[in-house]
Amino acid sequence: MTGTNDVGTAPIEARGLVKRYRDVAAVDDVDLTVRRGDIYGFLGPNGAGKTTTLRMLLALVRPEAGSIRLFGRDLFVDPVAALQGVAGFIEEPRLYSYLSGRQNLQLLAAFDRAGEGAATIDEVLELVELRERGDDRVSEYSQGMRQRLGIASCLVRRPQLLLLDEPANGVDPAGLRFMRELLRRLSDEGITILLSSHLLSEVQQVCSRVGMISSGRIVFEGGLDELAGATGRRYRLEATDLERAAEASRSHQAVQDVRVDDGALSVRVDDDAGLVALTAALAEAGVGIRALALESDSLERLFFELTEKRPMQVAR
Amino acid sequence: MSGALIAYRWELRKLMAQKRMWLGIVAAALVPVIFLISIQISKVTLHPPDGPYDTPLGLNLRSSGLSLDLVVFKMIGVIGPTLIVAIIAGEIVAGEDLAGTLKTVLVRSLRRGEILAGKALAVLTYLVSALAIYAVVGVLIGVIAWGFHPITDLTGHQVSALRALGLTAVAMAVYAVPVVAIACFAFFLSVVTRQSVAAIAGTLLYALALQGLSALSAIASARPYLLVGQLTAWHDLFQTPVAGDAIVRSLWVSALFALPPLAAAWVAFTRRDVTT
Repeated sequence: MTGTNDVGTAPIEARGLVKRYRDVAAVDDVDLTVRRGDIYGFLGPNGAGKTTTLRMLLALVRPEAGSIRLFGRDLFVDPVAALQGVAGFIEEPRLYSYLSGRQNLQLLAAFDRAGEGAATIDEVLELVELRERGDDRVSEYSQGMRQRLGIASCLVRRPQLLLLDEPANGVDPAGLRFMRELLRRLSDEGITILLSSHLLSEVQQVCSRVGMISSGRIVFEGGLDELAGATGRRYRLEATDLERAAEASRSHQAVQDVRVDDGALSVRVDDDAGLVALTAALAEAGVGIRALALESDSLERLFFELTEKRPMQVAR
Repeated sequence: MSGALIAYRWELRKLMAQKRMWLGIVAAALVPVIFLISIQISKVTLHPPDGPYDTPLGLNLRSSGLSLDLVVFKMIGVIGPTLIVAIIAGEIVAGEDLAGTLKTVLVRSLRRGEILAGKALAVLTYLVSALAIYAVVGVLIGVIAWGFHPITDLTGHQVSALRALGLTAVAMAVYAVPVVAIACFAFFLSVVTRQSVAAIAGTLLYALALQGLSALSAIASARPYLLVGQLTAWHDLFQTPVAGDAIVRSLWVSALFALPPLAAAWVAFTRRDVTT
């Protein structure tokens, strides 16, 4: 599915991006690095600057300062050349509602100077499971079908880098599962993907690295493991003696924070070694552990902590 | 194939798929039909040299069908052609901006200038098609109603029916020149306002302002150099001998009115942020 790209450098290297709308800095000194093969989650609450950053990455918006190199090519020297091998959509795929899905793909293939090859178009329609509906007008498509056609419109370009802005918007649970599987499959085929989302749960399931943006500034960039490591992980602990377990945890140096919550302890531990030390300390205190599990919403809490508070350590 | 031609080809396909374009074409076809019907209905109460008969070539009405298109030019003034071009030229960029499809095509492999050139060519093609439909329908129904007969030109000489038919075709081309300039202004508004309605309404206001300006007696000497005056440059063709001064003037005056908005549209489109 991928085309050729003769440059061996990072798919995205953005440095010092600044974009202001009137007096408001939508994007403020943003650095972003997406490595080859990444499924990169670009996370942030609504209005944080994700879409403006993506617009700059697709040369739809020109930054006031900073540089963007796509596969080593300067985007603002020759946008058309730099965008070779790059495809994506902003906010949601917008296609011509009065044309059929197939005609839309033919148009975009023509605009890619790739001809309007029926074989390629059939191939991508098949991939996004729209072949049967390819000749229907887009106005008759559901939201999920439009999202899939949007992905198809990118794949017609045979990209090496996909930039997708909130591709899960308006998609039902079955569509979400399909989207996740498709992204993993495309990644397996060697396509680097930048996935912008305000939903951490979506990003957690498919992404290998994340960048978090808040109020126009990057507050974290790195692997999901690094994120947990940088901010600590929170575990739910059920014990035979909750009071003694809380006391032992509070006095243990590996534990950062202890809360009693609904008949269990919630403890924050920085790393695996600290966790092992805590379990040993609990055993020594005569506390039996009934259950110990990473809290499912711990990353989500971190996400809110990072995006709603001050910038913190940035890992690269 | 050049990028502009690729864009042009697809702009035409998109226009063909839109009701708006057919509305314009049907309107162009209906203008001579409505006018013919109104002449036929009023033939009992309205006689030469009143009303439409008091227009250039108007005395040929009801004696030669070839006069119909040319007389209607006078009747529709500047607003008729402006309406027909504005619904497409005013929408062709702004409509895509509003629908969000502009950002879809701008991230492909054609340059912005190529996409804009394709759109401009598509507007021109639509305009020529609308005028051609108008001309063909007008001649057909005119000949059916009043016959394929010679006409009397503006200098009182008889022109054979066949020659009048040829001159009518050339007159269409001459008439199209200032209309293209109006289309360029609509195109410019389409780019800068990013709102189809604003672009169409703005173009109509522009046409009204041009018409108002040409009616001012204070600037009577400048009238030949205003755009509205160029809509009658085709009169040169229906003189014996055929003149050419007004046609030549129409070419350069129309260019003066067309090129600045076209250039401004180019600059705005190729440099602007796409944030819709």
